[in-house]
Amino acid sequence: MSDTAAPRGKPPFFSRQNMAYQVYRFKNKPEIIIGVLCLGFLSFVVLVPLLQIVKDAFTFQSYDLAYQRDGEVGAFTLLHFDRVFNQPISKALFVKPLINSLKMGFAVTLIAIFVGSSLAWLMVRTNVHFKGVFGAMLVFPYMMPSWVMALAWLSLFKNDRIGGSEGLLTYLTGVQVPDWVAYGYVPIVFTLAMHYYAYTYLLISGALATVDSELEEAGATCGLGKWKRIRVITMPLLMPALGSAVVLTFIRILGTFGTPALLGLPVRFFTFSTQIYASINARNQGDAYVLALVLIVLAISFIWINSRIIGVRKSYVTMTGKGFRKRESDLGKWRWPATILVILFLCMTVIMPLLLLLWESLTLIPGNYSLSNLTTYFWVGQGNVQLAYGEPGVIHNKGILGALGNSVKLGFMAALFNGALGLLVGYAVVRGRGAKLARWLEGIAFAPYIFPSIALGAIYIGMFSTNIGPVPALYGTFTILVLITVIKNLPFTSRTGIAAMLQIHQSLEETARVQGIGWFRRMFRIIIPLSMSGLVAGMLLTFITAMRELSLIILLISPGNMVLTGVIFGYQEQDMAQHSSAVTLMLVLIIITISVIVRLLSRSAGVGRLSAT
Amino acid sequence: MRMTRSTFLKAVFGSVAAGVFSVAASTAMAQEVSPELEAWLQENALGTNAMVEENWDDIVARATQEGEVVVYSSSGRIAKLADHFQALYPGITLTLFDLGSVKTIEKTVREQDAGIFNVDVITTGNSGQVIYELLNNGRIFNYVPAHFADRIPQENQDPLLIRVNEAIVFFYNTDANPDGAPISNVWELTQEQYRGRVGIKDPMASGSSLMGLATLVQNPEEMAAAYERLTGEALVLGDGVPDAGYEFVRRLLANDVVIFKSGSKLADAAGAAGQDDAMIAMTNMTYISRNDSKGNVNAIMADLDPVSRMVYPTFMSIAANAPHPNAAKVFIAYLLGSPEMNLETVLDKPYLEGESFDMLQGLAPYHDAGSVSPRSDVPLPAGGEIWDEMKGWDITADFMWEQGPQLRDFWLIYSSQ
Repeated sequence: MSDTAAPRGKPPFFSRQNMAYQVYRFKNKPEIIIGVLCLGFLSFVVLVPLLQIVKDAFTFQSYDLAYQRDGEVGAFTLLHFDRVFNQPISKALFVKPLINSLKMGFAVTLIAIFVGSSLAWLMVRTNVHFKGVFGAMLVFPYMMPSWVMALAWLSLFKNDRIGGSEGLLTYLTGVQVPDWVAYGYVPIVFTLAMHYYAYTYLLISGALATVDSELEEAGATCGLGKWKRIRVITMPLLMPALGSAVVLTFIRILGTFGTPALLGLPVRFFTFSTQIYASINARNQGDAYVLALVLIVLAISFIWINSRIIGVRKSYVTMTGKGFRKRESDLGKWRWPATILVILFLCMTVIMPLLLLLWESLTLIPGNYSLSNLTTYFWVGQGNVQLAYGEPGVIHNKGILGALGNSVKLGFMAALFNGALGLLVGYAVVRGRGAKLARWLEGIAFAPYIFPSIALGAIYIGMFSTNIGPVPALYGTFTILVLITVIKNLPFTSRTGIAAMLQIHQSLEETARVQGIGWFRRMFRIIIPLSMSGLVAGMLLTFITAMRELSLIILLISPGNMVLTGVIFGYQEQDMAQHSSAVTLMLVLIIITISVIVRLLSRSAGVGRLSAT
Repeated sequence: MRMTRSTFLKAVFGSVAAGVFSVAASTAMAQEVSPELEAWLQENALGTNAMVEENWDDIVARATQEGEVVVYSSSGRIAKLADHFQALYPGITLTLFDLGSVKTIEKTVREQDAGIFNVDVITTGNSGQVIYELLNNGRIFNYVPAHFADRIPQENQDPLLIRVNEAIVFFYNTDANPDGAPISNVWELTQEQYRGRVGIKDPMASGSSLMGLATLVQNPEEMAAAYERLTGEALVLGDGVPDAGYEFVRRLLANDVVIFKSGSKLADAAGAAGQDDAMIAMTNMTYISRNDSKGNVNAIMADLDPVSRMVYPTFMSIAANAPHPNAAKVFIAYLLGSPEMNLETVLDKPYLEGESFDMLQGLAPYHDAGSVSPRSDVPLPAGGEIWDEMKGWDITADFMWEQGPQLRDFWLIYSSQ
């Protein structure tokens, strides 16, 4: 702007000298450049929908005309806040569901953390048998839609409150299970914990694998007992991963819908998420968005508390340039009992639900479990108008096979982009730790986690229906499915990215920098290989959730972009139980196969040295 | 149907109300339509430009030129029609979005607000929102093929053409009640004997279930009278409960009604064979067909005081600025079934094959007990003949629009206690 001489002996801002200096400075702070770019991109794809939700919460909706005949659609209103927080309906709409959700969130998180970290410890740090198989199988429950567990629970324990055919337990013993075992709080907590322990398991086993056993041995040398070593050495080093696991599990539970809807409804156990979905279902966006905002505020405060706890500590670095050893402790006489415990656990959480799905897909009349009722029609049938409206079996069904291709494509692309974005966000946040930019970035990368999926999808229709600058209109394309899936899953990958980066000491990168190695090479030669185990775990989570996702993308898919979950939704709507079970089973098996392959490949590529299994 | 004095009076009042309402609707519509949209309507003879006579061959020819018809549907069963439709009208591809009722409306509104006009035919239930949000705001337009106009009763084509009428009814288990229906009055469901023994499909999640309840709430005087006929006493309303309709809902909830997520699961729970204490189910009549497919032993209570069948319609319409308006017209005509069908036509299962399919056309996937064509010249589906014997109430779009949210709030408050 001004080329007059600088008054205080400093070169003016736009002088060549200063610009060169600024460029030099920024070149040495790649985290700032990356941070700004990420922040810009995420602000657009995350903040715009958020602002839209805020705006809609304050806007008079056409649904509200029933409450205020003379209201003007689109005008500013406090009606929704009044309803949710103030009017008599608040108790039913907000207070009770909130209490239920919090109760549920705390209990599930507690159990999931306990189960997940115990299993992680068994798999990584002990000589329990069959580690390879177990390690892979322990994440299977997460690969099934969570309602599969709930359905399995019902077929075991349902009592005569919901009538019809007897539950297996009643059938075998004649005992009627009390309502509180069959429905409501207890089974919801149990089935959700058996599903979501996978977060803890993955994160903790990733982190445990990178904790140098020498640190613990040093403790032993100093005369610390076993438990004290865990408490003062191992536990603190696991804090970032544990913190991430707590945050991910707790917030996810607040937003989870399928299981509470299935198991809570018979005894009228309503949660926050069921109320949001009920409101969205009525197209009552006002109430839904106010409730969603409460969820968002809850989540943000939870993250804030978490970052206060984690953030005050100086260092969680476990990866340095120095020696690294991993030692397994000998379980001794507990080796077999521990193994059997894991086997029983897997039978309950993996084998039984899968068998149930398989059996369901092989029944001619759904719900009749006798052998004479078995058929392979729904897998290999050519299409017979007498059965299932003439829908051909899975392997002859063009619709299913096409959707399968799309699902896999979506899963892979989302995982890839998520991995890259998560790594960059993690890098910018950790290297810039303490700065405002890092805090904003961390917060914004987590925000999509708490959006009601269906609301995000609805808002994306409007956002991407026209071209934005050089970006053409994405609505109706496959790209928008990938984009929204990446955004929705970013919280996983950014958390794992951050957790992984926290463990890599800056000195490793500085060594390379001293030798004049550029940022890209540092990234590819040092950062990426070292964070690979965490990153692969995060990408796998994305892949799995992307394959299972429905409500997020249902508004955005078109027949050409149909995915497997959409197909399952269709079959469930039409009560085609065998088809829906068969396709669900197929989906689960594909997810399992692909993730096993990824694990094997990453192990043979050298990532395994660091990875948990 | 016999024409009694009361049904006659109701028909008179109904048509007066419908007339008043359609005037109100058309003025509302006129306010919303932009000049561009009006030109489009004129060009395609839609909205107020609808013709009394159409050159159907010409419409089919243009439709074939358009080459595609895009449908947003609340029901997935419509997908069974793709091959048959495309064989009957070669050159027109049927592209179907199975979205469920909420998403059908949501997607339409969001797209149109964003200036995207992808869809030709919209078929979904939920009368309040379809009429008030879509039709009255010029987002969809009514279209009745001219050659069908006199075969469809007025209430089934005005203000909006109905694709299919279905009903919420009460099922009982014939194993548990071999002597017939265990109750004769809906208020018995709120008595101690039925505590925890009535199931209902969640009205907070299911539009049809909410409409079933709303149908009862819409007629408070008749509900109150039915209570008196049962007990001999006048109904005492609970604190803050506005009328007998709401009081029924309150008492049903207070009597520990069991809420089901899925109507079919409810039908199976009530109807599983061999139960001696089976529950009574308030669910969609169409699930009576699960007696055949799942071995249930349900029966429909056909003679309840004050009503035994709560009808809810599913509409079909042409979207504003539809890219394939003529193909949309052809598809809507196809959904009404062949013009050659009449009350004497013999239709055999499976309906999705051969001559029956050719007669029923778009009706075929829905020709099930519990579903009724809007046409007056289509035979009732096998197993659903009981429809005409049952006393039925219809729900008005006005009531759903104005009272639906209140009823939901009411349900929410009393179900959480």
